[in-house]
Amino acid sequence: MENERSLARFERLAQMRHFDEACLAGVMSREIHGELHIGIGQEAIGAGMAEALRPGDAVVSTHRNHFHALAKGVSPKALLAEIYEKETGLCRGRGGHMHPFDLSTNFSATGIVGASLPVALGYAYGFKLRGQDHVAVGVTGDGGVLTGGFHESLNMAGAWDLPLVVLVENNRWAISVDINEVSATETLAERSHSYGAWGRKIDGTDPDLVAKAFAEAVDHARSGQGPAVLEATCHRFHGHFEGDHDTYRDREEKRRIRKEHDPLVLYRAKLIEAGLADAQTLDRIEQTSKEAMTALLEEVRDDTQPDASGALDHRFVGATSP
Amino acid sequence: MSVASRESWNTSLFVAEALRLEMARDENVLMLGEDVGRNGGVFGSSRGLLDEFGAMRVRDTPISEMAFTGMGVGLCMSGFRPVVEIMFVDFIGVCLEQVYNAMAKIPYMSGGQVRMPMVIKTAGGCIGSAAQHSQCLWGLFAHLPGMVVVAPSSPYDHRGLMAMAVESDDPVIYIEHKALLLKRWRQFHDAEPVPEERFTIPFGQAKVAREGGDLTVVTLSAGVEYALEAADTLAKEGSDVEIIDLRTVVPLDMPTVLNSLSKTGRLLVVDEDYLSFGLSGEIVARAVEALGPSGLRQVARHAVPDVPVPAALSLEHAVVPGPASIVEAVRKMAAAS
Repeated sequence: MENERSLARFERLAQMRHFDEACLAGVMSREIHGELHIGIGQEAIGAGMAEALRPGDAVVSTHRNHFHALAKGVSPKALLAEIYEKETGLCRGRGGHMHPFDLSTNFSATGIVGASLPVALGYAYGFKLRGQDHVAVGVTGDGGVLTGGFHESLNMAGAWDLPLVVLVENNRWAISVDINEVSATETLAERSHSYGAWGRKIDGTDPDLVAKAFAEAVDHARSGQGPAVLEATCHRFHGHFEGDHDTYRDREEKRRIRKEHDPLVLYRAKLIEAGLADAQTLDRIEQTSKEAMTALLEEVRDDTQPDASGALDHRFVGATSP
Repeated sequence: MSVASRESWNTSLFVAEALRLEMARDENVLMLGEDVGRNGGVFGSSRGLLDEFGAMRVRDTPISEMAFTGMGVGLCMSGFRPVVEIMFVDFIGVCLEQVYNAMAKIPYMSGGQVRMPMVIKTAGGCIGSAAQHSQCLWGLFAHLPGMVVVAPSSPYDHRGLMAMAVESDDPVIYIEHKALLLKRWRQFHDAEPVPEERFTIPFGQAKVAREGGDLTVVTLSAGVEYALEAADTLAKEGSDVEIIDLRTVVPLDMPTVLNSLSKTGRLLVVDEDYLSFGLSGEIVARAVEALGPSGLRQVARHAVPDVPVPAALSLEHAVVPGPASIVEAVRKMAAAS
């Protein structure tokens, strides 16, 4: 049982890594134009989220949203096609990688840092009003914690006991600004006390730790006890976006992070050491995942971009022209 | 409610009546904002709703516009139809992010998948409250794509356009004018009876508020009342103006404007919003595009001349369009024609 669960988590780590590698290919080939924010190095958070989420729950994510979408059950094909700006994408190529919306899984994202939390608060309020036991997860980064929306949203969620989980992916860097230089508190999780919220800080590079803590946070919110703040530390292997020269971080430091904090490498070693899997099994999982992603990418590449004649579609629902 | 008492209602009470009817017919309609519950709105336009629908559906919020406007977006995505009150439109600066990046763009960004049946109800206009509590800003919202922009003038229109705003699947900015909210039904220039039963007024249908053959005044909101008063004075001088009440800025009913211009050939836009890069320029541009560069005999704009609204009444009168300044603007055009 533990064995199966661990292998499933490893598989998710691999799928997320390979998904973002498939995105990177589109940047190189210029099939994706504009900036792309990938999450390589942060896979354990997405992988750890997946198990506790139910179909009715909502997730509102950030500019770095691919793993959260996959964790919520968004179709990888539709997501990848949206990122590749295709008509077959989730939003028919109108949203792009920062703005995926999927009503069928209650998943959405925003490209504005911190702006995810007020929207998640709205879901949480609606769940409470309808008496549903769903939770709303608002994902943000260390940078987003310092926006006013974090304070406003958690305050209201705390005042009204709303089922809001704020998941903070603390990768330390708001582009080039180090959280340790701009935060008045030592941890971000400790801010939860101000709002009567559950709060915890964990190592977000281990999917087991994330899954356990995230499940607790979700249970807390689901049981009507009000909001939760989970701070998961992680490492962003790439720049803020593809094309970011990332000169604000020391080259040696970046090398060390990739070497010592790669969630796939760490989890592989952990499973082997615990006797939960052997190297060949893990190799096979990685290989299968990679092949599946290669096939998916080929499929997406064959799809067409939206027809230019539709550029003004979907502005209004009603018979309205500006 | 007797007819006599309805005549003494101010416009706010008709707005509250519209909201009550919408909330009663659809349990997904709810209201959020500062002082909307216990206080019934600072202008009284949600009076009685808390008692009737309870605190979960008429939610008094903290002064957290960024978060409760974003809540409206999340509520829409889970199937509700929120009416979010931003007490004064001037406060939009602290939550514009959720308005123009989320509410207005999500229907498009989602490829038509997500609907945003949200109403932002907010009070604008001058009643002597100076620079930070007097703006109209409909030009700002109209410039940003994705929002219906409503600015009603009469009690009847406040009722019908609010019903339409709540019923609409598109996001709507509903800008009330404070002077109109506080004005009683019987004080209106051409008060039209407001039925007690529900009715809607479609978006994008301007109204000819006064027929006339000499000049077309295009305006909206309190500007309609000011123009009607001005027209009475001008009529005594032999000048017969036609007044078009736009009702909505987005969508903009140009056919009604052009129809009037085909008769008068003279256009005066009266706008309580700022002059430059706004509604008045847009009306002129669209008229010229439709009629050609020489399609009009006269064109003028009368709007707030790109200055914050001053506190002193003497200064406010100098920059904000009112009945007297509209009379002056028309006389000037007549003299030059």
